Amino acid sequence: MDELAQALRDLNEKKVYDLVEERITRGVPAVEIIKACNEGMVAVGELFSTCRYFISQLIFSAEILKAVMKRLEPLLQGGREGPSAGAVVIGTVKGDIHDIGKNIVTTLLRGSGFQVIDLGVDVAAERFVSTLKESGARVLGLSALLNFTYPEMKNVVEAVAAAGLRDKVKVIIGGTPCNEQVRQFTGADYYAQDAVAGVSICREIYAGGTPPGGTQQKEQ
Amino acid sequence: MAEDMKKLFDERLGRYQAAIALEPTDRVPIAAGSNYFAEVYTGNTNQETIYDPEKWLQAELSFCRTFPEIDVLRDNRIWAPAFDAVGLKSYKLPGRDLPPTDQFQFVEEEYMKADEYDLLIADPVQFLFDRWLPRILGELKEPGSVRSSIAILKGGMAQVMTGQIMRNRTMVLETEVGMPQPMAGFFLAPFDVLADSMRGLNGIFMDCFRQPEKVVAACEKLVEEVANTALALADPLKRWPIFVPTHKACFLSPEQFDTFYWPSFKKVMDILIDAGYTVRAYLEGDWGLHWRHMLELPKGKVLCDIDNQGDIFKAKKDIGHHQCLAGGIKDSQFILGTPEEMREQVKLLCETVGQGGGYIIGGGCNFPYTTKPENFRAMIDAVLEYGLYDTHVKPRPKTAPAGEVRAFRYPRMVTPWDKKRAELGGVTGDEALIRKPWEMLEAMAYVWLWQWVL
Repeated sequence: MDELAQALRDLNEKKVYDLVEERITRGVPAVEIIKACNEGMVAVGELFSTCRYFISQLIFSAEILKAVMKRLEPLLQGGREGPSAGAVVIGTVKGDIHDIGKNIVTTLLRGSGFQVIDLGVDVAAERFVSTLKESGARVLGLSALLNFTYPEMKNVVEAVAAAGLRDKVKVIIGGTPCNEQVRQFTGADYYAQDAVAGVSICREIYAGGTPPGGTQQKEQ
Repeated sequence: MAEDMKKLFDERLGRYQAAIALEPTDRVPIAAGSNYFAEVYTGNTNQETIYDPEKWLQAELSFCRTFPEIDVLRDNRIWAPAFDAVGLKSYKLPGRDLPPTDQFQFVEEEYMKADEYDLLIADPVQFLFDRWLPRILGELKEPGSVRSSIAILKGGMAQVMTGQIMRNRTMVLETEVGMPQPMAGFFLAPFDVLADSMRGLNGIFMDCFRQPEKVVAACEKLVEEVANTALALADPLKRWPIFVPTHKACFLSPEQFDTFYWPSFKKVMDILIDAGYTVRAYLEGDWGLHWRHMLELPKGKVLCDIDNQGDIFKAKKDIGHHQCLAGGIKDSQFILGTPEEMREQVKLLCETVGQGGGYIIGGGCNFPYTTKPENFRAMIDAVLEYGLYDTHVKPRPKTAPAGEVRAFRYPRMVTPWDKKRAELGGVTGDEALIRKPWEMLEAMAYVWLWQWVL
């Protein structure tokens, strides 16, 4: 494994920053540095899905990555960060202003090379629909913490259908009050038990595969 | 109190207390910590619940008469005008910032900076006044201004009024429908004090990696502050537990939990238990890797609410022989499920987690707002069918346990009486007559100050 990827995986913050500076000085293209970081983030995700890392470590890795991206931004010269793994529209549904889970998923998706359009919190169904239309994204992620949002999630899925996008867009729900029963009620395609499971579902959707059983569960 | 209501009250309280103490009783109590369903069951909006105490009380009286089988109904929710008086920024409220039918929501910000730990540790009260209160209480943003001083005055008056509203509600529920409380008084684990309203989630996790020793020192410093506030707000008769929702533990690795969360949290609980209280701990999220620590506290003293993500069957095996468990029905079951599914789930819970007692049925610490009434009824009917133990046992409340509040390292007052007496150059009459109310008001003001961190 690349040394930088390894440092990020091990949450060795100082070493990550030192290696990034060293590579910039050596003239390594920013895109290459990002690639190594992505490798590190994928490794963090794997540690999380096998219960060796926890949310606090996911959040810390995301913070380190954010700092690296900020440092590299001026060096990207408006260029893309490399080929995108696909576009994902994500947001917390109307009536709910919580965003911890959504932010973790967003960072992990970006760390895995996805182009993420994060609409924030308290997002109305119409905004999800118009953004899906504009972006052509094939995945919609709906997040919630409060259990009274079940009808609102269902409302978004129905709005996507009413806009004629239902066969083009896969809908994933996630967040504390979600489970398979809630997925069935809302009509969403998938329920992601945690952030890493959500990223796997996105990857499989864009790879053309079908994640198993309509849901993606973390192995215990 | 009418004789029949007194009898009902004693029966319900006795049943609840017996379950907490892991002692035999007649049936599984129906005693969720928060009953959101009751607040809106008769059609009140969430705004009315927090702004109109009379409407709120009437709604709950009506709920208790419709579902007399429930054993407790919570009262220590907020009275929103107390928040408005000081401009508390950490909540969005229904009818003020949110639609009147939505539930209130917590807004997390970085109200304490990463480099302010030393200030907090050196002098917490000074830190609160100089840095933290002006940031979190909008009306105090210009310390020393007339508006700011008036806001503190209004805040103190609102605290007294809140106390009166809650006391009245407790008494009316007791005398008119024989309903006890699930808990009174409230605290947070010291780590959650830092994480919720001071550093925020991202901030606290960065601190755990970047300045771990400061986080530990701050948690230690907060132990007595938290315990003092909890005791001040608890039921003086010690009939029901003091409540602690645990917010951030579920995000921590077991090593981080052992380092940052548990030691100071345990110290607070030890103080409360030594003082003769029980604790009701809402173990938010999945505590599966953490809850073994509950074995370190005295048996039957900490009622553990197992959340939707937790595995209550595993909890029964791990700690159920030592602490009472509550929960087992998912939010989605109340909201989306059918009465038949509810009946099956309750049967399963009573036959497993309920075996041998020490079990309270409910959701993950609450009954949700949008619970279907038929599901709630099905839960009750199933408990009456499958949740019976020995019907010859007649539940009776315990007498208030003795207990001693441990002496704190320094008095929880800004201006202790000794200092004031020195300033007066002594008093001419009976000192106790002056000293006692002085200290009472000082203590109340001190609690007012600290309640905002909870």
